[in-house]
Amino acid sequence: MSLFGLPILGLITFLPAAGAVLVACMPSSRPDLIRRAALGTALVVWVMSLLLLAAFASGQAGFQYKEAFDWIPSFGIQYKVGVDGLSVLMVVLTTTLTWISILASFGPIKDRVKGYMISFLVLEVGMIGVFVALDLFLFYIFWEIVLVPMYLIIGIWGGSNRIYATMKFVLYTLVGSLLMLVAILATAFAYQAAHGGSWVGAFDYEQLQSFAQAGSFGNNFQLVAFVALFLAFAIKVPMFPFHTWLPDAHTEAPTAGSVILAGVLLKLGAYGLIRFAVPLFPYAAHTFAGPIIVLSVIAIVYGAVVSIVQPDLKRLVAYSSVSHMGFVTLGIFVFSAAALQGAILQMINHGLITGGLFLLVGVIYERTHDRTIAKMGGLAATMPIWATVFGFFILASAGLPGLSGFVGEFLVFVGSFGVAPVVAVASIIVMVLAATYLLWMFQRVALGTMSDFLRGLGDHLTDLTRVEAITLAPLVFLIVVLGIFPSVALDLLSGPVRGFLAAAGVPVG
Amino acid sequence: MNWSDLTTAAPVVLAVLVAAAILVVDLALPGRRRLVTAVALVGLAIVAAAIVLLAQSGRHETAFGGAYTLDGLTTFLDLLFVAIAALTILFATDYLAPRGLPMAEFAAVLVFAITGAMLVAGSADLLLLFVALELMVLPGYLLAGFARNDPYSTEGAIKYFLLGSFSSAILLFGLAYVWGTTGSTRISDVAAALAVVAASHSIQPGLAMGLAFMTTGVAFKMAAVPFHYWTPDAYQGSPTPVTAYLSVGPKIGAFAIALRLFVGALGPLKADWLPVVIVLAILTMTLGNLVAITQDNVKRMLAYSSIAHTGYILVGLAAFAGGTKGLETQALQAVLFYGAAYTFMNMGAFAVIAALQRRPGVSSRISTFAGLGRRDPWLGALMALFLLSLTGIPPLAGFWAKAYVVVAAVQAGGWLTVLAVVAMLNAAAAAFYYLRVVVYMYMRDPEGEPVVSSPGLLFRVGLAATGIATLAFGLFPAFVTLAGNAASALGS
Repeated sequence: MSLFGLPILGLITFLPAAGAVLVACMPSSRPDLIRRAALGTALVVWVMSLLLLAAFASGQAGFQYKEAFDWIPSFGIQYKVGVDGLSVLMVVLTTTLTWISILASFGPIKDRVKGYMISFLVLEVGMIGVFVALDLFLFYIFWEIVLVPMYLIIGIWGGSNRIYATMKFVLYTLVGSLLMLVAILATAFAYQAAHGGSWVGAFDYEQLQSFAQAGSFGNNFQLVAFVALFLAFAIKVPMFPFHTWLPDAHTEAPTAGSVILAGVLLKLGAYGLIRFAVPLFPYAAHTFAGPIIVLSVIAIVYGAVVSIVQPDLKRLVAYSSVSHMGFVTLGIFVFSAAALQGAILQMINHGLITGGLFLLVGVIYERTHDRTIAKMGGLAATMPIWATVFGFFILASAGLPGLSGFVGEFLVFVGSFGVAPVVAVASIIVMVLAATYLLWMFQRVALGTMSDFLRGLGDHLTDLTRVEAITLAPLVFLIVVLGIFPSVALDLLSGPVRGFLAAAGVPVG
Repeated sequence: MNWSDLTTAAPVVLAVLVAAAILVVDLALPGRRRLVTAVALVGLAIVAAAIVLLAQSGRHETAFGGAYTLDGLTTFLDLLFVAIAALTILFATDYLAPRGLPMAEFAAVLVFAITGAMLVAGSADLLLLFVALELMVLPGYLLAGFARNDPYSTEGAIKYFLLGSFSSAILLFGLAYVWGTTGSTRISDVAAALAVVAASHSIQPGLAMGLAFMTTGVAFKMAAVPFHYWTPDAYQGSPTPVTAYLSVGPKIGAFAIALRLFVGALGPLKADWLPVVIVLAILTMTLGNLVAITQDNVKRMLAYSSIAHTGYILVGLAAFAGGTKGLETQALQAVLFYGAAYTFMNMGAFAVIAALQRRPGVSSRISTFAGLGRRDPWLGALMALFLLSLTGIPPLAGFWAKAYVVVAAVQAGGWLTVLAVVAMLNAAAAAFYYLRVVVYMYMRDPEGEPVVSSPGLLFRVGLAATGIATLAFGLFPAFVTLAGNAASALGS
């Protein structure tokens, strides 16, 4: 199926690659031209993804705008893509955050602009590809494509300890993803063996899902394959205790890298759990649900507690991500419609809110070259607009009703209360902790009298520039819209949520 | 011997003639490096053309009374060996001249070695196999010590020579036992006799000894742990283009022996040698990677990494032995594809080192690579490409190579699934040391005076060829069907 007679998903996925080639052909001596070309590509992709969202028929079950052709016929591997409500939202989140990140890099990135922009565009190919792939092998390829540009972005344009951080990021992710490869191959082989040795459809997600629905994967096989897939996704989310790469990667990455890392890369893991791990191996998912819920709650509480004591702005936001993503995994594994809707909304909200917080921290870092909370204070006096926007994002992150962060977490509470009241109550207490670390941070940075360190910078402390305001405005807009009209997203999710629960073997009311 | 035999073995015969021609040209017109290089390259092109023409004609036959066989496997491996020789010569052009080392001897010795490798690929008789093996490795000792004024080169060559001769003797010992048990040296006869033995489920002590000796000998040649000790010294000491050759030529040659000997002759006993191969594969991958992590010299690091890659290829061999009948061809295809992909990406990586060492005195320490991405964007990008491919990042050649091997192992099931998981964990660990070089190239500033390098035209052709192969094998995995055709030759 196509939009306006065009293979829309293929275009959205591979236009950034074309943009990367275009940028590669430009002379390094013209950084402005390169920046504009990259931004232009990302904007075109963004507009196309919005068209896709507008044309998407939200009532229908299954995948839309499918494109498929044989890629490696001898193993039944296809290039097969398609979207449902969940992946459409994720694609739009990706394209939105990508152009914002590229625009936000105009000022901070002055060195090796060409390589940076190429990395970002290649990164976009991988991220979109992961969300649209309907062939497990293709999914794996895109998953790995994401790794290399992010490795370079952190390693080349990152902070002082960037090399340690980027190696840690790569090694953690690679261990998970290679186990995932084995699990994918084993799954395909189980399918192939059950179909008389024919590879046709062995990597096809839709075929595998109906195969799994019929209960055709043996229980022991499910347990092993699920653990391998789960590890890969849990590292990416990251779930406690696999989260230790995250604070380092976030702290050392350049601002735009942190935005994409928090906004999209962490969502890849959650998406993988929702799309692949649970629907394909429901027996194993139910078997391990208990421990996973416990780990999620630990992540929620631990992330929040550790955030309180962080001395560095970025590290604080990074640990708060561990806590917020804990709600996502909790929402997935209590297997209720409300909780899953909440989890998916939380994925989007976290992308918007944390992305915004990283942008705002980046603004400060640009001016002070420091992120230490103790050195800040009284910024509201010299940067009132910045402080206002910062306060807005802080409140959104703390879950203020009326802003989007509230809806997601609320739905997760509601959904999990019916299943495990203790868990829900424990998580609600964390809301208080979240308010504590966020508001305390805001108070130390923006309120009070100006610190000597900041005073010494004098005129450098200018308020938000126009470009910076443009990068933040769409996020503010979306946070308000999703906070007041969450049904905009929830309507799209009804199909995927129903499908997920049916696949997980939960009766749908 | 008659014309038909000579036609069947034409590539081998032509290769000998090329080596002779190089020597004659150098004798008649001494000191003409370019001429010698041209003769060698044109000669290898003719050999390649002969291989392709023979394959096109569809001749699948034996020659010399059944000692030599021409089949899909011979064609595939012959082409790979010719490519290895051509690339080595291209990479040697810029390296030998500044050091005053002769080109003619280098090219001639190299082509003799390749002749041996091609004979190994076509061996249908254990005796020919052994003689061909010696023809392959003896020139290798010479090449390793080619920089005769460099003590490291000499040391490496002597170690390589001593352990190499030792392992050849062990292998010969094993072959003798097999001959004694089966009464034949012809591979097809040996296989038939062993099939009877396998059916009776009783292996005599003599045959068991033979199996053990042969495994040891071949493991030495392919540098599998714990028989790998010669590798790091030989690789690090040799002139870099020679290292590029040694890391692929004799290794693929050793796997050619494994295919002809273990798959062909000893195939019926595969259930007996499978456990050994599994253990060898695990040790080889794990130790190779762990030691590579600690290396500061990129040449030595790549030496250990090549040991690790031996382990991955062994996983494919294990999948052959552990799999069902239908899986055999697929596993062998994985082995062959891995060999081809590894050849190009690994030679490419060594070639970049050689390019940096164009000026004598430049070390291959990792600090040499600091800031390379900035000083020479093309060379840096190529090195990154080769290293990412060696790591196994899709969609490059190295990824597909690993994927096919792991597919085969997972399909074989049982203990081989565990082997596949071990292989993947190793691949993740290997990322550390490959990416460390990328870190130096792109994320650090050069220490001291930057190394200038502007390789010559031929060198660049070689680099481009390896780079394109690494990309093309990845982007068009259909190349694997070539390996598949070759593998089906063994699927008896």
